[in-house]
Amino acid sequence: MNSLTAEELLTFQHSTARLLADRSTEVDVRRTMETPSGYDAVLWKAMADLGLVGLIIDPAYGGAGAGPVEVEAVFEEAGAALLCSPLLSSGVLAAGLLQALGDEAANLRLLPAIANGSLIATAALTGPRGSWTPGAVAVRARADGDACRLDGRASFVTHAQVADVLLVAAKAADGLAVFEVEARAAGVAVTPLPTFDHTLRIAEVAFDGAPARRISTSRPAWDAVEEALSLARVALAGEQAGGGRRVLEFTVDYAKTRLQFGRAIGSYQAIKHMAADLLLESESATSAARHAAAQLAASASDAKAAVELAAFACADAFVKICADAIQMHGGIAFTWNHPAHLYLRRARSDAQLFGAAAFHRERYVCELEAAHG
Amino acid sequence: MADDAAAPVTDDGLREEVRAFLDNQWTGPLQDEAERKAWFAKVVEARWAVPRWPTIWMGRGLSDAQARIVEREFATAGAPGTGQDRTNLWANTLLAGGTQALKERLLPPLLRGEVGMCLLYSEPSAGSDLAGIRTRADRQSDHFIVNGQKVWTSYAATADYGMLIARTDWDVPKHRGISFFFLPMKQPGVEVRPLRQITNESQFNEVFLTDAICPEENLLGELGQGWGVLQTALAYERSVMGEGARGPRSGAAESKNEEPLIALAREAGALSDPLIRQEISKVIGLKKLNALNTARAKAEMKQGTSSALMSLGKLAMSRILHEEARVRTMILGAGSLLEGPDFPRAEDANFLTLNAYFTSIGGGTDQIQRNIIGERVLGLPKEPEVDRDIPFRDVRSG
Repeated sequence: MNSLTAEELLTFQHSTARLLADRSTEVDVRRTMETPSGYDAVLWKAMADLGLVGLIIDPAYGGAGAGPVEVEAVFEEAGAALLCSPLLSSGVLAAGLLQALGDEAANLRLLPAIANGSLIATAALTGPRGSWTPGAVAVRARADGDACRLDGRASFVTHAQVADVLLVAAKAADGLAVFEVEARAAGVAVTPLPTFDHTLRIAEVAFDGAPARRISTSRPAWDAVEEALSLARVALAGEQAGGGRRVLEFTVDYAKTRLQFGRAIGSYQAIKHMAADLLLESESATSAARHAAAQLAASASDAKAAVELAAFACADAFVKICADAIQMHGGIAFTWNHPAHLYLRRARSDAQLFGAAAFHRERYVCELEAAHG
Repeated sequence: MADDAAAPVTDDGLREEVRAFLDNQWTGPLQDEAERKAWFAKVVEARWAVPRWPTIWMGRGLSDAQARIVEREFATAGAPGTGQDRTNLWANTLLAGGTQALKERLLPPLLRGEVGMCLLYSEPSAGSDLAGIRTRADRQSDHFIVNGQKVWTSYAATADYGMLIARTDWDVPKHRGISFFFLPMKQPGVEVRPLRQITNESQFNEVFLTDAICPEENLLGELGQGWGVLQTALAYERSVMGEGARGPRSGAAESKNEEPLIALAREAGALSDPLIRQEISKVIGLKKLNALNTARAKAEMKQGTSSALMSLGKLAMSRILHEEARVRTMILGAGSLLEGPDFPRAEDANFLTLNAYFTSIGGGTDQIQRNIIGERVLGLPKEPEVDRDIPFRDVRSG
């Protein structure tokens, strides 16, 4: 699927949108988010069949071999539909990390099953500090004969409670490395954490002499982690852009039909001006997310800067759109039954995952300085 | 236009013809006004100034795609003068609405750049509500007598003509009683007074019209149909605006390669301040986002889909300019207390702070812009207008 034409991409995006319009309605989302697993196994299978789960996985391992542009497009739809699924964890972050590390044996062992959806993987990259930097890794690895064992804690591990395999960043004697751990092995304790965003699953994972396989790589392991995180940030940016656009749509629709003082509330400038500002936010987020995807796909020299920009711009935009949307709706959006708060919850979660806006803003300036120096 | 269209030409044939013209005639950068005039005359004579226009009006009846070929060849050579069928506000407005006599008289010199022009739209009591103008034009045999006051007029002192909207009928609702004129500026009834702006500059003027005379043939469109002519003119103006705003005034050296805000912070010793870095990041991010939006808009237009993005540029630019000025001030701190040539950084920050309003008020305030986006792009209903359907003489003013 590598490098789809614009038209093919659009067709693919449409079939994704159709599947989600059909199977990830608000009713579906509300039902699924109350289940312990937090995803719909039937939908998951359909997504795998459509090629979404193995989207970025090399065809040699049973995937579609697509790249950041396609990932971004799919996540715009996922964000719009508030999709509840481990797609980001397994299909993007874990698959991306494995491919970035490039351990042939590990890839053969894991990627085909990830691609067809039969195995769910995720990556445990940070400790309880939750800063997604090497310094925040709080798992240590030690040799045990030919094998390895892990001790310590990882946190904010997305979808760990439904994962079969964890890819764990840990400090080994010779530096940071990534290890493959069976999620249900002895010495692994996965504790689900209650999340503000009920459509998300997060867990803390404690390792107590957990058996682990080191994933070999010819590059510094954290470089590979950063590469996988870049892809995940592009996916998130797409999700934020798509989610924001959907929220603005239903908010504008409401402003056209809700009458007060005998007029549609959207005729009042107090509402109209907020909507205009949100359109700028929404369109800018879309531009940023698509640009980051394109630059990453092209391995452009400014790809890192483009990803940092998308990371903070889309995060801020999605939160602002959702927050203002609730205000514009008034009382109706203060109720549990209205979907606006579900999006706000998602927006606030997305804004923290893999680094908050301030973190990305700082890194953006660093990139600009580096580009000059 | 079918009768006027030139014989169809292939893209390659056209390209060759433009290249031949440029090879033979273009001799490099224009050194002075005389050379500029001579060059523009040649471009008009050879029908390259307005290739989309019909042949009877100095054009070639080319499609937009073919006209772009001409523009690209001129751009490659670095030669000005073509593409005026997109960019020449005055000539396009005149072509669309002018009388035969006025077009014959003014179109050629307008395209040659020989006619000074200005805009006589806004009035002290008609800013955002432009249709509320009170300048009057009263018919008297074969001419109109114009009385009133206009404001925010650039180049009024040197202009030969002003594009004027004036009220010709006070008994109909406000949009229907307006007419559009090319008013001769060099006459006793026209008095121009420079306006001192908050930046302490004077780019704009007030124009006082006292029994000024406007020949009947200078009426564009039908009497009372001026609002429609104005919309055409405004559309041309907006398409040219928003392509950029003025940078720092001081001309103090700025690195070509580095982001100006980073260079400024480095120079001010503030680049290690994490708070400043966050603010710099936000502003540069906003600029980049606007550039990305513009690029996406152009791509979408090329695919033939109309883009919501085009209407957002001006609003985005207002925010960027205000934010950039704020962060410059923040970087300088107490340094921004000063002004004058010895303190160019302060001069820049303070000038940009004030001049940001040029964009957030001029050409339609941000608030009006938000109305336009809300109504035309998002489809939100208009606010009721209490003065819309009553005779203008009954409309409250103040």
